[in-house]
Amino acid sequence: MQITDQMFNDWVRQHQRFLFGIAYWWTGSRTDAEELTQEAFLQAYRSRSSLRDVELVKGWLVGILRHCHSQMRRRTKSREEVSFDEMLYEPESRPTLSADALALHQSLEKLEERHRLPVVLFYFQDLSYREIAEALELPIGTVMSRLARARQQLHGLMKAPTKLVLMKKAESL
Amino acid sequence: MSCEVYKSEMYAWRPGDDLSDSKPLLDHLATCPECAEWFANFSASDERIRQTFSVVPESPSLEAKIFAGLAYERLQRAPRKSIWRNWFLLPIVASLLLGVTLGFGPWLQEARLSRQVATLLSQPPSAEINSNDQKQLLAWSAGALSGDAGLPPELSRVEFRGASSLKVASHNAVLLKMKNEQRASLLIIDARLTGENTIKSFHETAGSDSRWSDGRRTYVLLFQGSEQDMHAYMYQMGIVT
Repeated sequence: MQITDQMFNDWVRQHQRFLFGIAYWWTGSRTDAEELTQEAFLQAYRSRSSLRDVELVKGWLVGILRHCHSQMRRRTKSREEVSFDEMLYEPESRPTLSADALALHQSLEKLEERHRLPVVLFYFQDLSYREIAEALELPIGTVMSRLARARQQLHGLMKAPTKLVLMKKAESL
Repeated sequence: MSCEVYKSEMYAWRPGDDLSDSKPLLDHLATCPECAEWFANFSASDERIRQTFSVVPESPSLEAKIFAGLAYERLQRAPRKSIWRNWFLLPIVASLLLGVTLGFGPWLQEARLSRQVATLLSQPPSAEINSNDQKQLLAWSAGALSGDAGLPPELSRVEFRGASSLKVASHNAVLLKMKNEQRASLLIIDARLTGENTIKSFHETAGSDSRWSDGRRTYVLLFQGSEQDMHAYMYQMGIVT
């Protein structure tokens, strides 16, 4: 089917916030999320003829975002990793993060990579198991078992706040 | 089934799940106060996580950035004008040649620079060297410019990922691609070029630029996006010219 520039522009307006939110929680960085979202839309535009059904546009965009994320990781693999604790001192994130958000970022960072995106799609977008399975191109049973395991880990991690989270909580009192 | 087995089912449970599938779990919760309490705590904690996920920072310029990237992409893919249209340019070309003979040299050089810089936006040269090593990139650039490898202080925070050498208005030049901003490149020309601080034809190709000189070289920041976005980027990187 023919996807016009106008149609694509409408999708950008409708879904940029959705894609940015996923990228933000997935990467833990607003800057990376912006870069990833821009790249995803650009690649989506280039490969728009591969979309089979416009009803599935959200899942298709998530698939492209996943692909861009892998490319980004490969590019930055050699770069020294910065922990989220250090990132907190970026001026962009310090004033806006609540203690809960900080704990969530730190917990997500500790989750296994294969668990992180399903968790973000589950909580942030409230997608059903079926929708997550389609977006990740995985069998629904795999998604269910990964999510159960990931949620168990996430709840456990959130129950054990780091020093930084405790400090943040104390600041807000 | 033991309580532990039900717990693993609770981790897989989500609000709104099909009740027939969840019936054994719900039946167990009705008869096991310990599990019921555990499940209530889990659900509360789960809801709190869900609420936390709903808070995402604002990104007011994101949409504009996406559209700027798309505009550039579309520009590159736009079909080129038919050759016959170029015949209309003949009188202009003739006038320009006449202008050269009448002594419009400097003006023409400026126009030529503008055109060449504009071309860089629509057809940037592919990098001749890709590297994350700043020293290596600057040393390579210095070789292409036949000069030292230093950058002026306003560019001290900028990092690059690739470089290519080229000629701009007959002068040696290098185009350095920024590491963390796909839309930005830095053009260094091995000459001090005079003229207005804006390269007008550049704006026709949906780009922005900022140009300055240290007295020896000319620096042009090429940006595939609006003037506002470019200035935001320059501010972020501490590029004060």
